[in-house]
This record gives sequence, C-alpha cells and structure tokens, in this order.
Amino acid sequence: MSATSIPQSAEHNPLIPAQAERILLVVAGVFLTINTLALVLRGAAGRDWLPLLIWVICATAGHWWLNRRFPWRDPLLFPLAMFLGGWGIVIIERLAPLFAERQMIWLVVGVVALGIVTAVPQLLRLLRDYRYTLLLIGLALLLATIIFGTNPSGQASAPQLWLGFDTIFFQPSEVLKIILVVFLASYLAEQYPMLRALQTPTGRRNAGLSPRIIGPMLLMWGLSVVVLIWQRDLGTATLFFIVFLLLLYVASGFTWLLVGGALLIVAAGVVAYALFDVVQLRVDIWLNPWIDADNRAFQIVQSLFAFAQGSVFGQGIGGGSPGYIPVVHSDFVFAAIAEEWGLLGVIAMLTSIAVLVARGMRTAARLNRRAYLSLLAAGLSLLIGVQSLLITGGVLKLIPLTGVTLPFMSYGGSSLVANFIIVGLLLRLSTEDVDRGA
Amino acid sequence: MSTPVAFFILRIASALTLLVLLGALFWVMWRDFATASEEVDANRRVHGRLVRLQEIDGRYVASPEAFPLLTLTSMGRGPTNVVPVEDTFASTDHALIALRGGRWWLEDRESTNGTSLNGIAIDQPIIVTDGDIISIGQSHYRLELE
Repeated sequence: MSATSIPQSAEHNPLIPAQAERILLVVAGVFLTINTLALVLRGAAGRDWLPLLIWVICATAGHWWLNRRFPWRDPLLFPLAMFLGGWGIVIIERLAPLFAERQMIWLVVGVVALGIVTAVPQLLRLLRDYRYTLLLIGLALLLATIIFGTNPSGQASAPQLWLGFDTIFFQPSEVLKIILVVFLASYLAEQYPMLRALQTPTGRRNAGLSPRIIGPMLLMWGLSVVVLIWQRDLGTATLFFIVFLLLLYVASGFTWLLVGGALLIVAAGVVAYALFDVVQLRVDIWLNPWIDADNRAFQIVQSLFAFAQGSVFGQGIGGGSPGYIPVVHSDFVFAAIAEEWGLLGVIAMLTSIAVLVARGMRTAARLNRRAYLSLLAAGLSLLIGVQSLLITGGVLKLIPLTGVTLPFMSYGGSSLVANFIIVGLLLRLSTEDVDRGA
Repeated sequence: MSTPVAFFILRIASALTLLVLLGALFWVMWRDFATASEEVDANRRVHGRLVRLQEIDGRYVASPEAFPLLTLTSMGRGPTNVVPVEDTFASTDHALIALRGGRWWLEDRESTNGTSLNGIAIDQPIIVTDGDIISIGQSHYRLELE
C-alpha cells in the first residue's frame, strides 16, 4: 500500500488498524535491521542477530494476538511501543552487550505482560472494584522496599530501590506508579460529580478548597516526600506528584491546583536542597556543571558533548563514543541516541513518544462521558509523557536531573515491563465504547 | 566495497527509514483523523425534512417552509433551535427529535403546553416515522425522512 493510493473519501475505505499497524511495524523492523547490520559489521564480541530475531517474533506474535482480540484498537500504540523497545535493545546491545541478553528476556516478558493485560476479561472493572486492595499492595511494596531494599550494584551508598530475589531484581516503584494511577482514576471518578458540580456558574469557587480535593492532594504530596526522604529517589517522587497533580487537574478543572502544586514542588525542592546532598548536587550541576566538569558533573557534561558530537544526522551506530558517559545505557540512553542518530534520531524518538501520549489523551477525550476510563487513560499516558520529559529534560540540562528511566529505551526490566503494561491498558481503553454506563 | 563506504550507506539508509517512519506515523494519524471527521459529518448530515403545514379551507397542506432533520433536531420558540417555532403556545426549548439506535424519537422537553404526535399528546419519548405530524400549539409539521 503506497501513499499515492490515499482515497479521497475515508467512508468507503476506513483505516483498518491491522493494516496500519503492519506498515508501521515493517518500517520499524527495517530500521532495526539496518542498524543491527551496521552493528554486526563493526564486529565486536557479543553482537549478533539474536535480538532482532527475538524482536521480530515478539512483534509478529503481538500483532497476531491483537488482531484476534481487538480488531478495532488504536493502530499506533503497539507499533510505537515495539519500535521504541526494539531501538532500546539495539542501543543496549551497542552500549553494553553484556546487558543485552537480559533486556531481550525482559522484552519478551513485557510483550507477554501486554498479552495478559489485553486477555483478561473485564480487567478494567476488576481494577476498579479492587482499588483499595491494590493500594494496600502498592503501599506494602513501598514499605518492603524501604525495609528490604537493595541496589543491584551492591554499593551501600547507592539508593536502595530494588527488591531482589537471587539474581533477579525489580524496582517496585515501576509497579507502584501504575497502581497509583489506577487508584486515583477510580477514586476521582467516584468524586467526579462532586468535583464537577463545584464549578457550576452559580456555585461558589471557594467550594473547591473542600477537604475532598485538598485531602488526597496532601496525602499524595506526603507519599512523594516519604519516597524522597527514605529512598532518596528524586525522580519517582517528582513523577508521582506531577502526574497526580495533572490528573487532579484533569478531573476538576481548577487552575489554582496547578499553581498551588507548582509552589508545593518548589517548596519541597528548597527544603530538600537544604537537607539532602543528592538534591543539592543535582541542582548545583544543573546551574553550572562547568565548575566541576571532571568530577561530580562529569556525566552531564559528557552527555552535552555527546549531543554536540551527534549534530544533525549523527555518527552512525557504533560510530560515536557515548561510552564516555557513565552508565549511559540506563538514564542517559537519550544522549547515546543523540550522538549516534543525531537530531533526526532525537526528533524521531521524541515524536514517537509524543504520538504515544497524544493517542492516550485522545482515548481519554473520546471516553469523556465515562469518568473512570477517561481518567485512567489520561493518567497512564501522562505517566509516560511526564517521565519522558523529566529524563530528556534532565539529560539536556534543561531541568535538574531526576533519575528516571527513559520509557521503553533505558536498560531496566521493571521499567520496560511496566511500560508494556501501560500500553496494554491503553489498547484496552482505546476499544471501549463511548457510551454504555460509567 | 570498503567498510567505511558500507557504514556510510547504512547511515543514510537508517536516517531514511526514520523519515519514512515519521511519514507513516503522520499518514496513519491523518487517515484516522479523516475517518473521525467523516463520523462527525455523518452526525451533521441532513436525514430528512420537517415541513410546516398551513391550513387552507379546513385542510392542511404543505407550506413552502421546511427545516432540515438533523441527528439532534431541537424545536421551540428560542432562536437557537433547529426548528424555530413561532407560536405563542410554544416554550423556548419545546421538543426534540433525535436519532437513537437507528430510530427517530420525539420527546417533549417539559414544555408548558405539550407536544402532540398525529393529534395525540405525548407523555413520554415516542418513535416517529415518515409522514407523522408533530404539533406544537397551533403549528404542525410533517416529518419526511430521506
């Protein structure tokens, strides 16, 4: 199917999701093949065709399954997730071949998780009915991480954000963020008539200060602070709070929430700056990394060099030297993309994430008469969007660096699986009817 | 062919596929948008007419005055209605004709003087069909479906 055969009237030839999805997956596959070929030609040890093969199997299986399960799904979500995930695997194979095998396994687990999420009947209703159970599980996970948390690197000084079983580690905050969005969506949907009634033309605006809104807002802020203090996990704390605030804004429509929330973030930031070394360091190297470019700001400075090296078209895969950036395969994967694929790669990646988020928000807008589903779609896509903004902004030194993963692309199993679960939920949401009860 | 040349060609190919991917993304979104706007247009499509009847020598005949029948056709004295009813017995938002589940429903919007279908006052939403006469006060309209 070529672009020249676009019919004038979509009525006689509507867009078939399976068809569109296939086109996008094939283009993504071609891109990955070309880059794997270049990587194999460079001929370093441990680089072969296996990741590509695994990717093709995952993409085909996922495509086949979704065609059977949801013929009228959103055609962009799955190919974009696979494109970003596959690109992530290629990058990790290039940057840290030792980790590639693990990441491949996690990709398979992620696609299987997406399959399960789309397979379970009535899943969205179940999530809603058991929201307090879910919240308890989430808080238990948080507590377990505070008590038993470890770091795979084994350093005592590093943040202890992982739960480990033998050699398998997972990061509970990735699961926790989904649980929190599900809980908030169902909680706010329950309060929805109340929230919306508050802004009828006759209603007094100060009714918006009711404990119904302020209560959960402060609770969530407290939770973020707990994460920040006990875990020194700046990124997750910021992510939780921003996503929560935006979700509350989507539900209520109060602009003062955004202003108040921003002030709370700034207040928390100022206090944290005074109390915690890690926050102080991040802010200092954000304001001026050049004072200490060889030492504490080494990572961010090398990342900026990588962007400069990349120029418009990049150095080509394997052609740059992103290895100078410490742990580049994790949070700084964006800098590696900039160096080896250049501005074009950065635009392609950012566009893919932006489209993914926009499609989620479109689903939310389409379902605006069913508060729970609408808020769920908005919250899940905001998770991906805000997280991407935090890390891409941090790597570019536009905002202070908060250590979160780049969705789908950074090395990290929990993050990859969590994002595939989010896409699975969004796929489900995109097939929901506009009407039919709440 | 030397290796640098091969890498150079692969770099160009990689950049081109990225551009093709972006193009494909926009194409899919454009098609999706076109499909969605067709759906919206279908909702705005004219499905028939409401012909105002006038009384001549005790018989009702069609007047030249006709209004489009939309998926949601509002009737009443208010000027924003699809069918503005100039009748002292009409309420501002008097009645509604709506396409629901493939059928046309006539419902009274809690008007002061009520709405009649074929001369009988309606007390709940009722299915209407081609040729039915809808009356508000002294004004009568014939439903003509396409």
